[in-house]
Amino acid sequence: MHGRRAGAAAVVALALGLSMAACSASGPPSIVGKQTLRIGVKADQPGLGLRLPDGRFAGFDVDVARYVAAKLDVRPDHITFVPVTSATRETALGNGSVDLVFATYSITPERATKVTFGGPYYVAHQDTMVRAGDTAIRSVHDLKGKRLCAVAGSNSWKRVTQALNIAAVLAPAASYSACVAMLRDRRTDAVSTDDLILAGFAARAGPAVRIVNEPFSYERYGIGIRKGDLSGCEAVNRAVSQMYLDGTAAALLQKWFGRTRLQLDTHVPQFEGCE
Amino acid sequence: MRATTTPPPSRELHRWRNTARFRQLGLQTTPGRIRALAAVVVLAIAGFYFVANIAVGNARDGLRVIGHDAGPQVLATGDLYFALSDMDSQVASILLTGREPSPGTRQQALHRYNQDRATANRAAIQAAELSADDPTDQATVRSILDGLGRYERLASQAMVLDAQANHPAGPPPRNVIAVYRQATDLMTQELLPPAYNLTLEGGATVREAYAAKRSAVLSGRLWVALAGLAVIAALAGLQTFVTARFRRRLNLALAVATLGLLLLTVSAVRLLSDQAAHLQAAKTSGFDSILTMARARAISNSLHADESRFLLDPGRADTYSLAYLDKSQAVLYAASRNLGEYYTALGTAIKAYRANPRAVRFLGFYGDEARAHPGPAVTTLLSRFQQFQTDDQRIRQLTGAGHDRQAAMLVTGHSAGSPGYSFDQYDQAVVSLIVRHRGTFDQTIRAGDRELGRSVVGNWSVVLPLAAVGAAVLVAVGIRARLVEYR
Repeated sequence: MHGRRAGAAAVVALALGLSMAACSASGPPSIVGKQTLRIGVKADQPGLGLRLPDGRFAGFDVDVARYVAAKLDVRPDHITFVPVTSATRETALGNGSVDLVFATYSITPERATKVTFGGPYYVAHQDTMVRAGDTAIRSVHDLKGKRLCAVAGSNSWKRVTQALNIAAVLAPAASYSACVAMLRDRRTDAVSTDDLILAGFAARAGPAVRIVNEPFSYERYGIGIRKGDLSGCEAVNRAVSQMYLDGTAAALLQKWFGRTRLQLDTHVPQFEGCE
Repeated sequence: MRATTTPPPSRELHRWRNTARFRQLGLQTTPGRIRALAAVVVLAIAGFYFVANIAVGNARDGLRVIGHDAGPQVLATGDLYFALSDMDSQVASILLTGREPSPGTRQQALHRYNQDRATANRAAIQAAELSADDPTDQATVRSILDGLGRYERLASQAMVLDAQANHPAGPPPRNVIAVYRQATDLMTQELLPPAYNLTLEGGATVREAYAAKRSAVLSGRLWVALAGLAVIAALAGLQTFVTARFRRRLNLALAVATLGLLLLTVSAVRLLSDQAAHLQAAKTSGFDSILTMARARAISNSLHADESRFLLDPGRADTYSLAYLDKSQAVLYAASRNLGEYYTALGTAIKAYRANPRAVRFLGFYGDEARAHPGPAVTTLLSRFQQFQTDDQRIRQLTGAGHDRQAAMLVTGHSAGSPGYSFDQYDQAVVSLIVRHRGTFDQTIRAGDRELGRSVVGNWSVVLPLAAVGAAVLVAVGIRARLVEYR
């Protein structure tokens, strides 16, 4: 009797052990299945991510984030938007204070070593903004010897001074809204970054500034996800595909940038791929 | 403690045995007990059949998705991407060639353009067939083919204008560039992204199917083992009861059923272990590397095209050289801030790898590949990639020094020493690695298919139900002779 009971106990223990071994082979926790999401967005970029006086956030990035969150089955009132800056995006993802980042976050090979990128959900192009009266700057190469606003954590000024080797003088700033203020105050001669960002600021600044309209790069706006969350990345990509397929992407681009003279691309971008 | 608080089980049992319900079951008579035990055995056999069927079904589903649906889909869409991207690359080459250096160069590029178009059509049809059960993917493939028609019209227009311009090697006149821009934007914005995304989608499908099916097969194996043990225990119980009650040595039919189910359990457990191993090998040694290399090939072709576009369209030279750098780093990441630094960092990284292939100090597709499959094939691949980059550096130096014509002639040439030649050599190294991984992949999938289709005596989907019914029949036969004694 005792022997049989011990045998049964052994079988049960074996079963438990084996089934536990089968379950333990999972990766880091994923955004898939989360009930609530904290999403990092910019707070000072009109048209993309802007904090309104009442504390709510509005812009293309914010709307895209809402769409993707809905596809991840997260209710709108369960999304918390968290302001991030170019310098804090990686750390915010790394320390878990945000689950996703939609913040004009260009995919670069260097950043891809630190975070996993879903998308891109849009491909922008870097361009340059100068004071309206400044006719000497007609292309990015004319920035040689000029003061160029350099936002901490941003890739845009690196494209100019490092990747293209153009010897501009860097004028450090914390954000692009600060850069635009500096441009108007003549503390910098140029702001060079994505055309979508510049368009938003140009619309506000009116005739004081001018966009050179000589785009010189592909800026692939990625969705920052914690490194290694593959199922999260795949789910986000499916949502972005869906967004282009059902016409939402075209509608959102029209809503936020339809009044600018930017050429809007309404085709699904080539994804970075998840790994 | 327990003995004092609860009545001894035997008294409970005795009370239960006297109830009407117990008598209804007929369990107080020997034939009744035999029937009841036999019913338990048959139920256990049914349970075994049920779990074994599910486990084998999971193995079959896993092999189907990885080996016959998504796996081939990745290859077909990878070919589609390459052919499309190469079409645009050949058009750029034709426009750069102008009337020089020899009529042969232009003809050669045109020939390859036509070959690419045929390959693209074939690959698109194959991709559409493989996604027969996914209307969204099919619509995507259709839209690529529609776009290809528009692309070809623009490309022909650019080539006709270019021939009329009769310009020396180098950037064509502005009107040609304007039409080419439309063509290449159509290609890179509308045709290539969906093709690449289909490849990635295939990869995601395989990853998900692998994770789900492999763990289902492994837990299925456990359930099969437990169910098999339960059947054998029940059979042993019936055997003991019958032999003891009738003072016989052995009930042959029951013994045969027991032996048969023991064999079946052991071979089912082995089959499921093997299937899990095949799924793992197909995914990690075959599929993952196929996907990595297919993506590397796609991005490489696209960066090669960016090299030609950089020369062709001086107005977008910055855009194309920045894209070239980004894509080169996606292929092999070596920390660098610009192309000049990249060439150097690449050289250092590859030199270090040659000295010690176990310490891979670079990332990107080739970082993954070098870590997964260190060996001479990867070394060759890296050397050829480096040679292509060295030739690229020379091209950019020539343009930087104002020798556009010379640079254009080098880029479009296919003789040794030209980037065109070194790119073809490099691409061959990529293809040979894909072929190798494909070999591993096909082999494991075939082995899995073979084993599922062939158990010890036949196909598993036939053997399982037959064995279950056979065992039940043997049980019936085994107890029938004993029950007859009570008639």
